[in-house]
Order: sequence, then structure tokens, then C-alpha cells
Amino acid sequence: MSFFKSPVFRIAMTHLVSKKRQTIVAMLGVTFGIAIFIFQAGLMSGFQSTFIEETVNTTANVRIYNDVQEVRQSILEMSNTNKNAWIVVRNQKPKDEDPKVKDGKQIMDLIEKDPEVLGVSPFIGTQSLFRLGLAQASGRVSGVNIEKENAIFDLEKYMTEGNLLDLETSPNGIILGEGLAKKLGAKIGDNMTVTSPKGVALDMRVTGIHKSGITELDNARAFINIHNGQKLLGVDGSYITDINIKLKDINTAETIAKHYHDKFGFKAQDWKAANENIFSVFKIQNLVTYLIIISILIVSGFGIFNILMMIIYEKMPDIAILKATGFKDKDIKIIFLIESLMIGIFGGLLGLLIGFLMQKIVGSIRMDINGFVSMKYLKFNSSPGFFIFAYCFGLIVTALAGYIPARKAAKVDAIDIIRSK
Amino acid sequence: MSKENYIFETKNLSKFFRDPVDFQALKNVDISIKRGEFVSIIGSSGSGKSTLLYVLSTLDTDYEGQIFLDGEDLSKKTKNQLAEIRNAKIGFVFQFHYLLPEFTVLENVMLPALKLAKYPEPEIKKRAMEKLEMLGLADQADKRANKLSGGQQQRVAIVRALINDPDIIFGDEPTGNLDSKNAQNVFDTFKELKEKFGQTILVVTHDMALAAQTDRSIRLHDGEVVK
Ligand SMILES: Nc1ncnc2c1ncn2[C@@H]1O[C@H](COP(=O)(O)OP(=O)(O)O)[C@@H](O)[C@H]1O
Ligand SMILES: [Mg+2]
Repeated sequence: MSFFKSPVFRIAMTHLVSKKRQTIVAMLGVTFGIAIFIFQAGLMSGFQSTFIEETVNTTANVRIYNDVQEVRQSILEMSNTNKNAWIVVRNQKPKDEDPKVKDGKQIMDLIEKDPEVLGVSPFIGTQSLFRLGLAQASGRVSGVNIEKENAIFDLEKYMTEGNLLDLETSPNGIILGEGLAKKLGAKIGDNMTVTSPKGVALDMRVTGIHKSGITELDNARAFINIHNGQKLLGVDGSYITDINIKLKDINTAETIAKHYHDKFGFKAQDWKAANENIFSVFKIQNLVTYLIIISILIVSGFGIFNILMMIIYEKMPDIAILKATGFKDKDIKIIFLIESLMIGIFGGLLGLLIGFLMQKIVGSIRMDINGFVSMKYLKFNSSPGFFIFAYCFGLIVTALAGYIPARKAAKVDAIDIIRSK
Repeated sequence: MSKENYIFETKNLSKFFRDPVDFQALKNVDISIKRGEFVSIIGSSGSGKSTLLYVLSTLDTDYEGQIFLDGEDLSKKTKNQLAEIRNAKIGFVFQFHYLLPEFTVLENVMLPALKLAKYPEPEIKKRAMEKLEMLGLADQADKRANKLSGGQQQRVAIVRALINDPDIIFGDEPTGNLDSKNAQNVFDTFKELKEKFGQTILVVTHDMALAAQTDRSIRLHDGEVVK
């Protein structure tokens, strides 16, 4: 006999139908919880993955640079073999203030041969002052080989004006971040001046406007040709400060970074380590959001608990007669578990639908957000796995909320009921 | 000992209540009922009739002594086994006609059989209709149980007790809540079941006129069977 025709299932459904209003209220509790889950957590997770994606896109998988602040072991410490001795070295100065990656060219050649590597790009960066007429702003210039840089960061995709490769062909081109261009009032073809902390000033011409989507970057970053970067810093043509690397598999970044560090002696940072603080902020954000959502679902759990307790008190005689006619405690328990699960299954499905519609509706309203990241529309996580997770979570809460009343019903003493009538 | 003759037997049955005070409600009760007998239990209020019936019906397992149904010692069974025995072998009629109010008469009758699942549903339905017909209730089959009169509901409860062809039917003052005409009607039904189908029946009643219509009466006094 199919389960849906079994007496326990029929009895459970009859209880729910005979208490239509309360059943619907309890169902809507679950619906509300799941809808909020889908909307709120979907918004957060969508935002975070957009942000992470953009951040990861603008962060090298592995970045090799000369970390002049890195604490080194003093020679005294290295030569000391007595573990019990205290050694104090005061005023330890960085060995080499110059952030140059020595033999950068040779290192790049070696890395390029690594089969795990998709692309390598040299980089020279410095703080600069940008001036266009009377307007001025400070930021960072990135001196790059634009073709190689594009291979790693897919810069072309983010150009809002101008042609990326014009930088290569024009002797004094500069690509400005969108926010920076706005501050300066710069347009394509405008002439401007870039001044480095070393006092070198270069006349540049705007060849493009670029928007990564990460507001902080777009407000302060400009790309110039690597030779111009070297001119700004007053260094020779072999001088670079960073090597950016793109890998075939970004999950190998950590081990490869360690390997390069050991091999070349420079600091090698993988993308996860570079964005560590963002990930930890997200962790806290997630914790808070999920706590709120869990609270909402627990409240809807109480709704289910309530209606089941009500039904059980009202149906004591039914429970007694069912037991007297041979239904086991287990059967009685199943009846009430079915009731709570029905509320959860249908309330949850409706919640999924409403949450999905809320995502679609809100996601189709143009927002033009320019905060942490800039986006035209809110992005939601609407992957099936996310919906399944929300639904399962709702069902677990429902089952837990139904379990206590169901167990209580199973323990009802039939004789007590029959006698007291 | 001719145990085989008895469908139902108790040996040295005692029952104690500990709350609110220690109190022995049943004292070494020995009852034997033959197959096809219609027996009544009589006694004044508080003499232990209901207590005895709940123990016999296996709903109350907190007793001392033994109960045999068809030669099987019920005192050794687990709760789940007892539920199965109640389902398959014992029929029950209470003073208050406990039908499930949201179900139809037919559904109420069918439930214990659906639980037993010995026959497929169409067969169960057919048998339920036959039994309703036998008690003149066929035309009520599709009504909601709570739409029937008290006497009708009690007769539906009897049909429900019959649905799995039990070895014995227990009734705890099944007429206690009915007027004398309906009470007589219910008793006539019991008599008919006994005569036509050889159904074994044990009912508690304090109505002496009704008790007189049974094969024999067992009198309880302060929890003891009076010889
Ligand atoms: N749950 C109980 N706890 C304590 N005493 C009880 C309980 N149920 C019944 N009794 C007592 O057991 C005795 C027999 O009760 P009962 O079987 O209901 O009598 P009857 O059905 O013959 O009127 C009475 O004295 C009653 O007070
Ligand atoms: Mg009584």
C-alpha cells in the first residue's frame, strides 16, 4: 500500500485540513523564513561573490615583490647556537630600502617556463600626483606592459572608454581609473601631468578610462607604460617592483607562492593571503546574517510547535481511540511528524518561490550602486544549491519543531483519556 | 485444565494504584470465557469494572498475574506486540462513542482494517459495507461520523470493533450514555452477533435488566469476583 494511502497519512492530512486557518498561518511562518533566507542570504552571498570575483580578478594569483618591511633574522641570531641565550638587536634597519626585485627579468623567464603558469607580467608602481589644469588628485601609477597585464587581469573587459592597446603605441599614454578621471575631469585626449615622489614629472595624454568595479581602486589607479614608470622613479630599464603571475589553477596559488619564495628569496603572496582581511570581514557578515535568518526560522518553528500542540490537545480522544484500535506509539508519532513536515514542505516551497520572485524583482531594478563595489543591479546568489540548502534547512527546523509535540502525542496514555471522558 | 475451551482467561489478576494512596483495585481475579459466550461484568460504581476491562484490553499493562487470549500469554508481550494484538484480535466499544469526527462512518470503520492491511483497500471497503449493512447502517456510510445520533454512533463503533473479525469484543458500559430504547438496540446487536456469528463478547454494565440478557454475569465487589 502506498504511503499516501496509509491511514496515518490520511489522518495527518485530515487534521491539517480541519484546522485550515492555523495550518496556513504556520505554513506562512515557514514561507516567510525561507523567503527571507533566499532574499537576504542570496543578496549577501551574491554581493560577496561579486566582490570576491572582482577582487580576485584584480589581484594576481601570485605576486612576487620585495617586502622591505619583512622582519629578518639578524646575523647574530643566525650565528647563535645556544638556545638558552637571549639576544637583543635594537634598531634593526631594513637591509635594503629599495623595493627592487633584483634580476626580475631572469626570474620572469624562469617562471614563464613553469607549466603551471599561464602568464607573467612585470610591474613598477609608485605613488603619484596627477594634475590636469587646476585639478589635482593623488593615486598610484602602475607601470606595466599592457599586453602582458591584460593577459593576466583581462583589463580590456573593464575599459569604459578608449582602447587598451593604445597605451602600447602612444609614447606617453595613460589609462585612468574611472573615479580618478572624474576627480580630474579628464577625457580621452586630454593632456595631464604625473609627478612622482622622486620629483620627476611626465606629461601624459589620456588614452583610456578603466573601471574595475572596485571603487577604491578606480578612484586612485592609473596605468602607464612600464618605461614611463621607470622614468618616473628615475631607475633603469631592468628595474621592476613586482612580478604578477596568473596560474592555470588558482587553488595551487598558495603552494606555488611558497615554492617561489623559497626559490627566489622574495616575498611571494598568493591571492588569498592578499585579500585575507576582506574574507574575514565577510565571515563576520555571514555569521550575523545567518544568525538573523536562523532566528526567523526558529520563530516559524514555534509556529509549527504551537499548532501541533493545539491539534494534539484537541485530538486526545482520537489518539486514545487510535491506540485502542491497535495503532502503535510510533504510528501516532508519525502522524504528527507528517503534519509538521507537510507544513514545512509546502510552506518552504512557497517560500522558495516568493524568495525567488523577490530576487528577480529587486534584481531587475536599476540601482547604480557605487559603494564598496559599483554595480548597476543587485546581484543575488540564485544557484540551485543555494535554494536546496535553504529548503533543507527549513525542513530540518520544521522536523525539529514537530518532533517534540509528536513525541508527546505518542506518549499519551489512552486510559487516562478514556477514563476522564 | 481444559484451557483449549477458553478463548479468554485471567489468572490471579491484581492491580494496584499507588497514587494518590496505595490501593488494590483488582484482587486475584480469575475469569474464563468460552468461545462464543456473551458475558457481562456487573458491580457497583467503583468496584473495579472499568479497571478490569482496561487491563483485559491490554491498554493497561501495569498489573500482576496473567491474561491469556486464545492460549497466548499477553503478560509477556511488548507494547508493540500488544498493539498488533489489539488491532487484529480485540474489538473495543467505549461508553462514549469515540469515532474520529472528521472521517465518514465508512472511513471510521475501515481504519483498523487499513492499519492491519490484511486485505487490499477495495476488499476492506466491501467488508466494511457488509458489516454496516448487517447493523442497518449502510445508508449512513458516507455521512460524517459526528452527524449521527448517539445510538447510531455507538453501533458504528461496534461495526468498527468487528471489522478485523476479533476473537473477543470488550465493551465498557457501551450503553451507559444511551436512552433505554437505544441501549436495548445496542444489546440486541450484541446478541445477534453472538447468535449469528458466534462472536465472543464481554461487556461491563450496571444495568441489571441488560445484564440479565447475557449468557452469564460476573459480579465484582471491591475488586474481587463474587462467587
Ligand atoms: N488512575 C487511578 N488512580 C487511582 N485510583 C483509581 C484510578 N482509576 C480508578 N481508580 C480507583 O479504582 C477503583 C475502581 O475504579 P473503576 O474501575 O473505574 O470502577 P467502576 O468502573 O467499577 O466504577 C475506584 O475506587 C477508583 O477510584
Ligand atoms: Mg467504570
